[in-house]
Amino acid sequence: MSAQAAQGGLVGRMRARRARKAARVVEPQGRRIEVTPPEGVPISYAVAGMGARFGAQLLDLIVSLLIAGAPVLLLSATDALAAEGLITLFLLLMFFARSPYYIVSELIWNGATLGKKAVGIRVIGTDGRRIEPWRIVVRNLMKEVEVFLPVTALFGATLLVPSWAMWVWMLGVLSVPFWNRRRQRLGDMLAGVAVVEAPRPALLPDLAATAPAPASGAVAREAAPLFAFAPHHLDVYGRYELQRLEDILRRGAPTKAEQNAVAKVATTIIAKIGYTEKVAPALHRKFLEEFYRAQRGYLEHRNLFGDAREDKTHGAAKRQG
Amino acid sequence: MTLASASAAADHRAGEIRSARFRAEREAGWKRLDELVRRVESRGARALSYDEALELTGLYRHAMNGLSAARAISMDRALLVYLEALCARAASVVYAPQAGVRGSLARAIARDIPRAMRANAAALAVGFAALWIGALLGYWLTGQDSAWYDSLVPGGLAGGRGPGASVETLRASLFQEDGEHGPLGLFASYLFQHNTQIAILVFALGIFAALPTIALTFANGLTIGAFFQVFVAAGLGREAFGWLSIHGVTELSAICIAAAGGTRLGLAVLSPGPRGRAASLREGGEQAVMLIAAAALMLIVAALVEGFARQLVQNTGVRLAVGWGLGACWLAWFTLAGRGEER
Repeated sequence: MSAQAAQGGLVGRMRARRARKAARVVEPQGRRIEVTPPEGVPISYAVAGMGARFGAQLLDLIVSLLIAGAPVLLLSATDALAAEGLITLFLLLMFFARSPYYIVSELIWNGATLGKKAVGIRVIGTDGRRIEPWRIVVRNLMKEVEVFLPVTALFGATLLVPSWAMWVWMLGVLSVPFWNRRRQRLGDMLAGVAVVEAPRPALLPDLAATAPAPASGAVAREAAPLFAFAPHHLDVYGRYELQRLEDILRRGAPTKAEQNAVAKVATTIIAKIGYTEKVAPALHRKFLEEFYRAQRGYLEHRNLFGDAREDKTHGAAKRQG
Repeated sequence: MTLASASAAADHRAGEIRSARFRAEREAGWKRLDELVRRVESRGARALSYDEALELTGLYRHAMNGLSAARAISMDRALLVYLEALCARAASVVYAPQAGVRGSLARAIARDIPRAMRANAAALAVGFAALWIGALLGYWLTGQDSAWYDSLVPGGLAGGRGPGASVETLRASLFQEDGEHGPLGLFASYLFQHNTQIAILVFALGIFAALPTIALTFANGLTIGAFFQVFVAAGLGREAFGWLSIHGVTELSAICIAAAGGTRLGLAVLSPGPRGRAASLREGGEQAVMLIAAAALMLIVAALVEGFARQLVQNTGVRLAVGWGLGACWLAWFTLAGRGEER
């Protein structure tokens, strides 16, 4: 941001505008991995955020600590070994429990360790195919070198490398995911996999459905619409504004602030589309719901005829050619 | 209700949006698919009956069809988000199911590992050469000047067996019954833990153009060579060789093979060939994992031999026979297995 501001002038402003425009198109998508299954319909997965991955890693570390620590705790209760022996045993178990834990759990749960499950992320092949065992093995053995080796070397310093070099190495390797589009570690690249979100969204009710009535079927139709919209009312907005309106309507209106927001949006829209009839404040929400329905029907209809309207600038774009 | 009659009936319902109707007609199928996918995700494909599995694939194709249509006609964002996520999850269930662990392990042992061994002779040569050249150099250097021993062998490992130690001390360290607490026991547990660590390191460091892999294997060789020279100088060469052979043939070969795996990764980085680095790495990765899998198996066997056989067998001739006999078994596995027809 500061770099852009410092540039100033026409070039800076143009660049900023272009960036904003690009951001708007990309924003609802975010970083995604696109895969085309044999049906030929591309589907996409949202790349997991670094925060989620860090959280999962932390949880998994705790789990593997427990795996290695439980036998040691049991042994310490029996007084069979001295303290030094226990520490040595713990380090040994930690070493032999870590990689196998990751590998086995990712094999069993098809790309999700317990930590990943808890956070709601998983590993997929970037080609959309199954993740064969060798990919899981590669990914987790590389983790030894990428994550654990620098960490242990920093604390234990058994290697014949100065510690500043270790820092450089560690920062370099750990920052690899920040430099690529799919947020892959070196091991992920090697195995051809990526960590993605595994969301389970619920299907929200259709705002344009005509029957939110108690009984199902066409009999229980709701009353005739209160507001009538002419085509010139619906020519103003595009898909982007429609979907923002959808967000607002889905939020519901239990609080005073939400009701104020609805009232503000309603008056803005009434002014913008030149709706001349009077709309009582109590009916603002009703107005927006009906406007949404009419606008969506209209836009989808135009869309079917090849007139896709991305946002409210659609008219301007057409005029410019 | 068929599609034709549905749209005919819908024509009467003026005011209903096409995409809302589209959704209402398909919603039940999506919900059912969601339920089936959820079950597979939590309990595996085995949770489904035969009919349900059939139903799943059918519903999946319907949902994909619906997603394609919804993208084209619908502006209902809630629907698009839901359908995108549902189809992505269903596609994972249908096309990327969980790999069978037992089957792939058996296949790796019977076929994939030996084939990878034979296919990567060059990488194997590099791995073994790095260790051997290191060992010869360590041997020669320590022979020239015994001061080299201190810089080549890590301090904790020497355990008083430096060039100045008496022949009796050295001999006792090779033939003691009590393996746990003596200096050789220390050396054995050092070898075991560190060899596993080194195997992982030399493998994974290979991605950095194979150089760290070769350097680390070479350094390992230096240590062994220097260690061996001390015993040869004391006239205990054959005994030390037997002591090292009984597990070392397996263990050190495992390190070399792990190094070969790392080298394979490095080669994929250095000379990716016409298909690009990503594709070459993926191919190299699969081969390299087969090599490291072989190394892992060998390290387990070596640990068993080291833990039991070496303490029980005190005769140098038998030690040599066991060690090199085991080596011959590995060689037979790598050269003979997996030559049959593809099934």
